[in-house]
Amino acid sequence: MTMPVRILVVDDEQHIRNSLATWFREEGYDVGVAASGKDALAAVAREGTNILLVDIKMPGMDGLELQRKVRELAPDATIIIMTAYASVETAVQALKEGAYDYIVKPFDPEAVSRLVRKAAERYSLLAENRALRERIAGASPALITSGSPAMAKVIELVDQVAPTDTNVLITGESGTGKELVAHLIHAKSTRRFGPFVVENCGALAEGVLESELFGHERGAFTGAVGRHRGKIEMANEGTLFLDEIGDVPPKVQVDLLRVVQERELKRVGGSETIKVDFRLVTATHRDLEAEVAAGRFRDDFYFRINVFQIPLPPLRERSGDVPALAEHFLQQFATQMNRRISGFSQDAMAALMTYPWPGNVRELANAIERAVVLCRGDRIEASHFPFAGPPASADHSLAAIEEAHIRQMLAACSYNVAQAARELDIDRVTLYNKMKKFGIERP
Amino acid sequence: MNVRLLALGDVPPRLAETVLAELPRPYVGGEIGRLAVSLERCYDRTRAQVDAACLIEQVPQPEPGWLLLGLTGVDLFMPALTYVFGISHLGGRRGIVSWFRLHPDGKGPDAASVLVRRITTEVVHESGHAMGLVHCVVPDCAMHRSLWPEGVDLKRPDYCPACLATLNASL
Ligand SMILES: [Zn+2]
Ligand SMILES: [Zn+2]
Repeated sequence: MTMPVRILVVDDEQHIRNSLATWFREEGYDVGVAASGKDALAAVAREGTNILLVDIKMPGMDGLELQRKVRELAPDATIIIMTAYASVETAVQALKEGAYDYIVKPFDPEAVSRLVRKAAERYSLLAENRALRERIAGASPALITSGSPAMAKVIELVDQVAPTDTNVLITGESGTGKELVAHLIHAKSTRRFGPFVVENCGALAEGVLESELFGHERGAFTGAVGRHRGKIEMANEGTLFLDEIGDVPPKVQVDLLRVVQERELKRVGGSETIKVDFRLVTATHRDLEAEVAAGRFRDDFYFRINVFQIPLPPLRERSGDVPALAEHFLQQFATQMNRRISGFSQDAMAALMTYPWPGNVRELANAIERAVVLCRGDRIEASHFPFAGPPASADHSLAAIEEAHIRQMLAACSYNVAQAARELDIDRVTLYNKMKKFGIERP
Repeated sequence: MNVRLLALGDVPPRLAETVLAELPRPYVGGEIGRLAVSLERCYDRTRAQVDAACLIEQVPQPEPGWLLLGLTGVDLFMPALTYVFGISHLGGRRGIVSWFRLHPDGKGPDAASVLVRRITTEVVHESGHAMGLVHCVVPDCAMHRSLWPEGVDLKRPDYCPACLATLNASL
């Protein structure tokens, strides 16, 4: 296993040393402290150090002098100068003599974290840290890699595109796991230490979507009490995943196209230009080419986001995955609900294998969750599934009645969600959430 | 591990109870308490903020099997940093969370529930540090670093499997 990056904080003020040491230890760095230039040199000679944070004004040996000596002793070490406003000129002198950067006290937590992370990347030790790799592996979903040829192709495409900065479009029916694939792309990319930010564009009205994505300044519109950073800004140095991109209104498509091309944005109601650096992954269940042909989706935006496409097969085309997925969800829900259930009866597994799964993996997960709730023995039986065994009307639970009612209403409205929401007297977002919960997809 | 949530001064009604009820594994039990602290002693007049490193020293040493976490509404800083949402003794089973900077934009029931979720997530985060966890790369893990209040919304008030395994191994 490789060693963590070692940081030495050099400051004559004890509370500054200690608080910075706490901050960096929480980031997982190996941190030492030194109260003077002399102590710092001794520590560098004794233990070696990758990054030194050096206060420029110290009694005895000052920051500049310490920097010169460290450069002789450990030429590979990175030096970051800490300064007060009053001594910025000296800090600039330190830069000329080879300091990596300087930072003015008191530091913005974001600025100091980013600066040190950038410096640490030079040692690339962090990236190779085994614990980190295990975590990423733990975060990448086992449930999409159960081994069928159709999914093997998907994983191959992910591996091919992940290390690049190419925009990716993931297509497939609702519930096929598009967000999981997006997450996997992020986890396998060089941006994996940055944020992974998700926005579901289908669930929000135009104005809300705009402010969610771009952020807004105080007083930008009625109700905008304070400044709000948008999802794009928060995805800086990471991955932005826009789900249901096919539902984005044309005006927002124009704004997004501009950000993707120019890598900068203005918050709603703001004048400041903010630089953003993110990788864009989008997904849709719609046929975007048909949407473009029908004039509902801009072709220039489609061209931008569809640089690399990953199509996800529906679950019925990879029924070989069903047993492994079913086992995975059974484990997950049984653990969550603290139930001892050993597996599926033969009938139950046969029912799972023959059902067409219009709601795909999400519907499968919901069916297993429901079965775990209903199951009183140590095996899931076919009768625990709504699509097998006794007719569904036998289930008089509130949730079952609600689900049936929502399905009926959606069908009556030809799956126009806005119309169905009005008929049901709930808002669109609530209906979307309920559809997600029940695994209802729009055909 | 048991958690004692300590109100350091006034805490909105039922806030501590709600947060305590939402705490994930491995926190199996808990209680609510109050702790009289001197904010004066840790107040920095020039910055009009409270020094978190000073305030946490007023939280007593926990007894075995307990983790102590203070809740406060004052604006916290650490020397050299402009602000912090919380602080903890890494592995020392003591921490503090402030909701001062966690308030969402806007008012109304949505804003109130966003705030409670943010506080819960940061309590889970600082508790993790207090149990010895460092920051995690998993984007929705409570131990992921967040520097902005909106960033807290990207996390769940729960640990990823790897962090939970580390915690369980340390118990
Ligand atoms: Zn932290
Ligand atoms: Zn984690």
